[in-house]
Amino acid sequence: MKKRLAFFPIVLSFYSNQLLAQNFRILSLNFKPMFGNSVLQLNDSVYKLNKNDSIQFETLKFYVSAIEFWNNSAPVWIEPNSFHLMDASDSNTLKLAFKVPSDMIYAEIKFKLGIDSLTNVSGAIGGDLDPTKGMYWTWQSGYVNFKLEGKSNLCRSRKHEFQFHLGGYTHPYNALQTISLLTSNLQDVSIKFDLKTFLSDVDLENKPSVMSPNKDALILSNQLGKLFKIKE
Amino acid sequence: MNWRRNVSVCLLFICVSAFVASKDGLFNIPLNWPKPNYNFSKNPLTKDKIDLGRALFYDPILSQNNTISCSSCHSQFTSFAHVDHALSHGIYDRIGTRNAPVLINLAWNKTFMWDGAINHLDMQALAPISHPDEMGESIEHVIYKLNQSKIYHHLFFKAFGDSIASGEHLLKAISQFMLTLVSANSKYDSIKQKKSVLTLKENNGYQLFKKNCSSCHTEPLFTNQKFENNGLPVDLELKDFGRMKVTQNPIDSLKFKVPTLRNIEFSYPYMHDGRFKNLNAVLDHYVRGIVKSKTLALQLEQPIVLSANEKVDLISFLLTLSDKKFLFNPEFGYPKNLLISLPKD
Repeated sequence: MKKRLAFFPIVLSFYSNQLLAQNFRILSLNFKPMFGNSVLQLNDSVYKLNKNDSIQFETLKFYVSAIEFWNNSAPVWIEPNSFHLMDASDSNTLKLAFKVPSDMIYAEIKFKLGIDSLTNVSGAIGGDLDPTKGMYWTWQSGYVNFKLEGKSNLCRSRKHEFQFHLGGYTHPYNALQTISLLTSNLQDVSIKFDLKTFLSDVDLENKPSVMSPNKDALILSNQLGKLFKIKE
Repeated sequence: MNWRRNVSVCLLFICVSAFVASKDGLFNIPLNWPKPNYNFSKNPLTKDKIDLGRALFYDPILSQNNTISCSSCHSQFTSFAHVDHALSHGIYDRIGTRNAPVLINLAWNKTFMWDGAINHLDMQALAPISHPDEMGESIEHVIYKLNQSKIYHHLFFKAFGDSIASGEHLLKAISQFMLTLVSANSKYDSIKQKKSVLTLKENNGYQLFKKNCSSCHTEPLFTNQKFENNGLPVDLELKDFGRMKVTQNPIDSLKFKVPTLRNIEFSYPYMHDGRFKNLNAVLDHYVRGIVKSKTLALQLEQPIVLSANEKVDLISFLLTLSDKKFLFNPEFGYPKNLLISLPKD
């Protein structure tokens, strides 16, 4: 017993040397859905596009995938198996943390809004991609990349509801968005996207529902992709 | 050094898993058949996973009111089609819009459903589970119900080493059972293996088949898996335009997947809406019922000519595609023995 204990400090120092040899830092991405200047809240908060309207949100869920950090036009860190379901009803999901080499310098963050076509045709997958997460179409295979639901007096639909389930992975309606954001080697990054801008371009009155992969879904997805911004 | 070891472990794993499909004889590729389309390395077959999938296939727990199972519309003795039902009925006797297809040789399928809306066997079960006219249930609630069940705690643990059910494990298990449904023991197959011979009539039918049918119903699977418009007049009530709904492209209007002809003797009624009750009616359609339209299959532009005797011969060949060994194989039936051995809920 004594003999074994004698080895203990040696073993410990060996591992601590190993740890010192590879220094890491934690880099965090924090996704912030906004409505104008305020952070968007689900359910009770009421928002306005214009004077006489009102908008409430019930669901906001979307996939962020293929996260990469770039410098000088080359990737410096790529997250393996990078699929994250963001759910505004659970703020923990909106914060991502990565352990990267401490000397890593980056100037650009790239990610995809949605799920790539290969993953879409790969059968049942678990974790954030599990079909029980409410982000998989059942009547026609494919992931919903982005889901926004709520109500507004502008909508002429039943119960004044709007539903945007945006997705589609096949040509010509591949809705996946690649987003590249320039930044300055930040430790904690806030990525904001303004749903007021998004809804201002949507015809809430006549088209309050887009729920299949089609031309409308493609147009709205393209608009969404342009809204992600880093606020320093 | 470390990464090299990791890579070699990964390579070893890939090599091993490539062979898992046929390990223990759980899945064998019939002689002279093409390679299956299903990627077994992502869901290697095991007896326990197949058992779980089989239990789920026969369990109405998948439906909203626990009345409809997969087997309600896919019975083994009809090659897992729905006997005598043009359109199937789901919960509360709600009627759907399409005929339940046979579930055989699914490992070779590239797409699923009459219009190919489903891109992978794993995802297929989601459609009937959530369709309001079929099982009317949500996958989330199915998982909730399964996690209340001692039987499924046990079966999921045996299969996946985790007693908690997940969507991924449920779907993979159902796939595993369906993958085992290989039908390749018909008289036709024994002739190809030179263990039997066709009668004169059957052989005449085979020649007619090769001339008139096999460009779409290609051997050995008896489907080319393409989507074609076979000249059926549109049902004005169902207004089903098939593949076009999926691709939103007018060139796919009225196209439906070419179905396999294996076990065709038992999978009546025929066509995507089950409009023909017997094979005579099907042949009558091809001989004198074709409706010409822009998307009609090229193969059907020239009329098919068959005399009354030739129709009889062609049908006698089609009957050689029946695989009774498959239809009555106890391994594919209700898993009575498995369920008896388990603790009750």
